[in-house]
Amino acid sequence: MNKNIFRHEFRIKFKSVVYWSLGVMAVIFIYMPFFPTFADQIDLFNEALANFPPELRTAFGLDNADLSTVAGYFGGFVFLFTQIILSIQAANYGFGLVSIDESELTADFLLTKPVSRTQILTSKLLAAFAGLTLTNLVVWISSLAAISLFRGDHVVEWRAVFLLLGSIVIFQLFFLSVGLVVSLLVRRIRSVTPYAMGLGFGAYVLNAFSGMLGDVKLELITPFKHFDPAYIIEHGAYDMPLIVLNIGVTLVSLVASYWLYVRRDIAAVA
Amino acid sequence: MNIFLRELRANLKSLIIWSVIMGLLIVIAAGKFAAYEGNPELLAILDSMPSAMLDAFSLRAFNLTTLSGFFGVMFVYFGLLGAIAAAMWGSDIISKEERDKTAEFSLVLPVTRSRLVTAKALAALVNCIAFVLITWGLSLVAAQQYNPDQAFYEFLALEMQAMLTIELIFLAIGLLLGCALKQYKRSSAIAISIILATYFMSILSGMQEDLDFLKYFTPFKYFDAGKLFRTGKMDGTFLLISAVIIVVSLAGAYWSYNRRDLYI
Repeated sequence: MNKNIFRHEFRIKFKSVVYWSLGVMAVIFIYMPFFPTFADQIDLFNEALANFPPELRTAFGLDNADLSTVAGYFGGFVFLFTQIILSIQAANYGFGLVSIDESELTADFLLTKPVSRTQILTSKLLAAFAGLTLTNLVVWISSLAAISLFRGDHVVEWRAVFLLLGSIVIFQLFFLSVGLVVSLLVRRIRSVTPYAMGLGFGAYVLNAFSGMLGDVKLELITPFKHFDPAYIIEHGAYDMPLIVLNIGVTLVSLVASYWLYVRRDIAAVA
Repeated sequence: MNIFLRELRANLKSLIIWSVIMGLLIVIAAGKFAAYEGNPELLAILDSMPSAMLDAFSLRAFNLTTLSGFFGVMFVYFGLLGAIAAAMWGSDIISKEERDKTAEFSLVLPVTRSRLVTAKALAALVNCIAFVLITWGLSLVAAQQYNPDQAFYEFLALEMQAMLTIELIFLAIGLLLGCALKQYKRSSAIAISIILATYFMSILSGMQEDLDFLKYFTPFKYFDAGKLFRTGKMDGTFLLISAVIIVVSLAGAYWSYNRRDLYI
């Protein structure tokens, strides 16, 4: 790792990190206050639900995400939206990590420095990861604060909440590394944001129907399924096979990124 | 004309990527529908769900065991994908000239700035229309296995018109951002913020009655699929609001691009 590159990368990302962090914070504090009213309504619903045969309830995914509990509401609404934002942020950093040097024509400058490409990539990755971790921290603090403030007199299932928050790191790394490897696979990334929006929102939308009855196949490709809040809350644990798959994809992407970047033909200023 | 054709070609890849995402969504959803088709017990469960939850996810007013009902639920996602794609196309098609340092080249061509914007906007418009047509086509193909009736075709046609309107709103906003902002990096960042904020707002406005007024601020709520289904047409007030947003954004885009100091 090279300290100068790390410091520079972190500094130019810092403002963006602040904006994204403010964004997630706002979402958490806007949605969490609705919990008390919501919980009252849901209680009635749960009574009605008790009359249905259990097979149907499971099929609908209604058993797992009980929205009248603090963890259920937090996971089903607040955390899901947090995930959307975090995915776009991480994908954004991933796609832009090395492609920005090419599109802004600073690659010549950077690559003539006496540092290896491996070192450059490592420093950049660590800087991006540091930025994401900062946002992660903000999510932790805001979530815990919002839950404590707006829990009403409900019992909080802290274990589930911590499990959800703990999954963020892996979730961010997935989007960071997949974004990075895609940016290295294509010849040139002109604009980072459309790719990041496509990856983030695409993954979210593909998961939209997964809570519904019916067979689960295609949605296994999306991280929103790997870290499905409903599953985590219901089982009080991660869905291990899917998490392993997720980490596997991340590792393969990272290794492939190093391999590709070291060999990449980088366009110089003409 | 040359600019128009050039932009069409340049955006083709992006159109293909978005169409693939849309295709995957439709394949997943159509697979799910198999479990719902003609399964009345599911209806009973849906009926008993709390209204806040149904509204939040726009599930209200739909009979998920019918094809039309199922596609009604999908409309939110059609609109969302369409909006993102359109906003990105709109802001990128203008701001990329400055990012790629090609603004000097395109602006010394013997065309006015207005004509440049027009050619680019038309290219993005064609993209948006193509995206709707592709979504439409894929939906029709996916629906065939469930023997759709005439009412479904009409409802789908209406949904696609609404999707196009949402796309146009975000396309116009995207163009405005691309044209008006001095720093090209800002335009896509602000476009993201607008999409995220309006999408979250649309969910919020359904959750509580006193927040209902938010629906005027988020285009995702302008055309509620449930209402489309019941009334068989798009709401006049919201069509008008959409038209105003589009016209004002476009006028602002031309106005600002014509007198802007370009970043070189």
